[in-house]
Amino acid sequence: MLNREASLQICDTVLAQAKTAGADDAAVSVQSSIESHARFADNRITTSGRAEDLGITVTVWVDRRRGAATGNDSSPDALKQLANEAVQIARVSPVHREYVPTLGPLTYGDDRGFAAGTAEVDLAARAAALETVLGACRKENVTGAGFHSANASATAAATANGNRRYFRASEAGLSVTARSADGTGSGYYAGDHFDLARLDSRRIAEQAVGKAVRSQTPKPIEPGVYPVILEPQAVADLLGFLTGSLDARTADEGRSAFSGKDGKTRVGDALFSERLNIYSDPLHPEIPVAPSTNEGVPASRLSLIKGGVLENLEYSRFWAQEKKRDATPGPVNYIVESTQAPASIDDMIKGMARGLVISRFWYVRQIDPRTLMLTGLTRDGLWWVEKGRIQYPVRNLRFNQSVLAMLAPWNVEAIGAPERRSPLMVPALKLSGFAFTSISDAI
Amino acid sequence: MAIPPVSRRQFLATGSALIAATYVPEWAEAFQAGATDDSRRAEAADVALARATALGASYADIRINRYRRESIATRERQVLNVSRSASYGLGLRVLVNGAWGFAATNQVEPAAARAAAEQAVAIAKANAALVTRKVVLAHADQVVATWFNPIKRDPFEVPLETKTAFLMKLNETAMAVPGVSFVSSQILFVDEQKYFASTEGSRISQRLVRTYPQFSTTAADRAAGDFQTRAVVDRAQLIGYEYVEDYPWFADAEKAGHEVVEKLKAKPVVAGRYDIVVDPSQLFLAIHESVGHSTELDRSLGWEANMAGTSFLKATDAGKLRFGAKIVNLVGDRTQPGGLATTGYDDEGVKSERWHLVRDGMFVDWQTTRELAPLVGQQRSHGCLHADDWSSVPFPRMPNVSLEPAATEVTLDDLFKDIKRGLFVEGRGVSSIDQQRYNFQFGGAVIREITNGKLGAMVRDAAYQSRTPDFWASCDGLGGPATYRLWGTSADGKGEPGQTNAVSHGCPPARFRNITVLNTGAA
Repeated sequence: MLNREASLQICDTVLAQAKTAGADDAAVSVQSSIESHARFADNRITTSGRAEDLGITVTVWVDRRRGAATGNDSSPDALKQLANEAVQIARVSPVHREYVPTLGPLTYGDDRGFAAGTAEVDLAARAAALETVLGACRKENVTGAGFHSANASATAAATANGNRRYFRASEAGLSVTARSADGTGSGYYAGDHFDLARLDSRRIAEQAVGKAVRSQTPKPIEPGVYPVILEPQAVADLLGFLTGSLDARTADEGRSAFSGKDGKTRVGDALFSERLNIYSDPLHPEIPVAPSTNEGVPASRLSLIKGGVLENLEYSRFWAQEKKRDATPGPVNYIVESTQAPASIDDMIKGMARGLVISRFWYVRQIDPRTLMLTGLTRDGLWWVEKGRIQYPVRNLRFNQSVLAMLAPWNVEAIGAPERRSPLMVPALKLSGFAFTSISDAI
Repeated sequence: MAIPPVSRRQFLATGSALIAATYVPEWAEAFQAGATDDSRRAEAADVALARATALGASYADIRINRYRRESIATRERQVLNVSRSASYGLGLRVLVNGAWGFAATNQVEPAAARAAAEQAVAIAKANAALVTRKVVLAHADQVVATWFNPIKRDPFEVPLETKTAFLMKLNETAMAVPGVSFVSSQILFVDEQKYFASTEGSRISQRLVRTYPQFSTTAADRAAGDFQTRAVVDRAQLIGYEYVEDYPWFADAEKAGHEVVEKLKAKPVVAGRYDIVVDPSQLFLAIHESVGHSTELDRSLGWEANMAGTSFLKATDAGKLRFGAKIVNLVGDRTQPGGLATTGYDDEGVKSERWHLVRDGMFVDWQTTRELAPLVGQQRSHGCLHADDWSSVPFPRMPNVSLEPAATEVTLDDLFKDIKRGLFVEGRGVSSIDQQRYNFQFGGAVIREITNGKLGAMVRDAAYQSRTPDFWASCDGLGGPATYRLWGTSADGKGEPGQTNAVSHGCPPARFRNITVLNTGAA
């Protein structure tokens, strides 16, 4: 990974060349990265590797015409050529109607989401962590498969108007799937953190193995609408569709779940449970991220949903200019939490007359962007609850469920404490109704 | 070794003849590897392989690949983005004491290649305690070869203005249909220049050029707060710019415009059981999900259990299990002209081939690699190893998996003929399938009623849901050779870290009886 000086030096070289070649405006980003991983399956290591790369992207404007080029060679000749090429593309491109001048000098907060130990993985320590996982699997006679990853990157960016920034970020993750020897039970658990040292391999393995053991020989139940408790992973599997829809432009253009009638948007509407808050915060202690949006806008706390009311949509720099307002300082991550004291999953189960506990979802796809109607399946742990207790595992089910209806004021009974599932902090949810349409034979 | 089909000198000569004065000669300079580049690449490969061997690797192979991409994105009457990217690097795989190690770097020179070999061996050795079964590779021939897909016109030589004009005309054609609110279109060109070398003496150079046009139309009713889209997104092929020039794209754009306007006003489907006829533009995806992924041997063995999942097919099922009706024949094929997964040799140097996965309705064989083949008692790999980048670990990926048409000419009308209450499903809708490839739900871009053998009005919010063995058992009609089409998906995800694979599926339209259809708007 390149340090600040080396990264910005590349930016400056490319900017200077772009100017020489005739660019009126330009932005350059340089990302250097190290990615390390180990995969295992069938209770043994399968593949393991490491990759280093560099990505240099230059975007230029010549007479408001835009061109962009990306390469991974930082030799002086290659940098010169990259800038020239972007300019040459711009010269033969039509006028870029959505041009917004690049940013000038700005002040950014600290980047707190980087740990050096994540960038340079200790191979022996990783092997020991994996042995912990595989040992836990062998002990319970289940077959373990999983993925250990540790990635780090340094990103510098600079513009012809004087903006300069450099941030480092890292991300480590471990996920484990355990399957029972008879193939009738399967459990999954995952954790992630920017600091590899904070990954709890033992806990992740024990959770996955426990779910595999407890989910064996599931019984079928009829598809239908049931009360459910979604564990944080299950919530994470669905909420990306909500957070990905919080864009102002598509709402203004009438093609989003947050488009209202007669050309309005639904900002200000109480669409969700009054217990629900969703916001972005680059300084969140559990999920700190680079204090800048992808466009270079300094990031700060941004409330998206507050007390169930849709409070803000995301404005890009272009769309903000069109609407004569400021671009939003995010989102850069998503923290989903309750306005009240969080409920534990155990308490949610104790208070449930009948319903399902869901570990995670799989192959979730959006069927209808108007309602955020999704389809997908439960996977790796589904249990029937009756009279405040888990009774038995049940066979997986396909659902067809709208996220808007799922989080509606009348459907959310309880919200848990948020857990990190990058880029989200997500809680468990207890919901009055969730719609299942068919049964799946898959384990 | 210069990479065909054009040498650097030829490229520059023809390029300057074809293109306007404003075009980019340096682009050509940069990405057409010359003799110096080739020798530097071969030297880096040789150094890495020798170093790995010296450190104890029983086998090693290296991919030194250069990728270049050009993409243009537009909406309505404006070009949003033109960008080009290039990436060059090496990825080395070593087998030490039966365990794999891998290292990759963007520095293609001997010192970095040597360091990568040392890193890969160190990774393999560090994991030695976690190896409970040593990797054994099936035999592969030593190959020294060059391969390229035939193209008539290199997309990277076509002037940018020509390409943006094509997309603008495409948008204009769709926008001319009254009621169309938005159109977006993109075109992507990919050029892969791949070099493979192994400690078994293989040295293979390949060039693959793909062309990916796609567009989407949207009709919005602002007063009612309602909208619908019609996307045409699965037409990519292993082909040159002639695809843009020869295919009737503007007729498709106009049709998609009319279809999205009709879709906005279409009535919701009535949920229930229907006989359905599925067009190749949708059936390719059903084949991909239910056949392509279930016949991957690595999935059946649990190697993908943590991500994509396993398979309902067991390792012992080949030759014994009925997969579908007797008329159903499915082939794995990495030689199919235009197929996105077509190549000369896979990423461990195994020559491409065509073989049956399902014959006369019986499941007969798997997709395999050199590591997988011996695990089901086979002596040779079917050539399914692939890495999506020089920095990616090669692993088993899907070949083109295609459904054979009926032997005689059967038309769409023939398939509709005796259907009393049915639906005709075209184009990509939402697809979802479980982790063992049993339960699936597929939508369509355009779905019309079939009543007493006749095609009728469009319906909306429809999706068909079935179970893989039931679905293929219910197939009782296939279109003939003239109805066969090749569709493909450009970004099939699999593996950890996630990799994408471009893969095509050829098929005729096919009829399936008594299938559950949902109204997805009703929940």
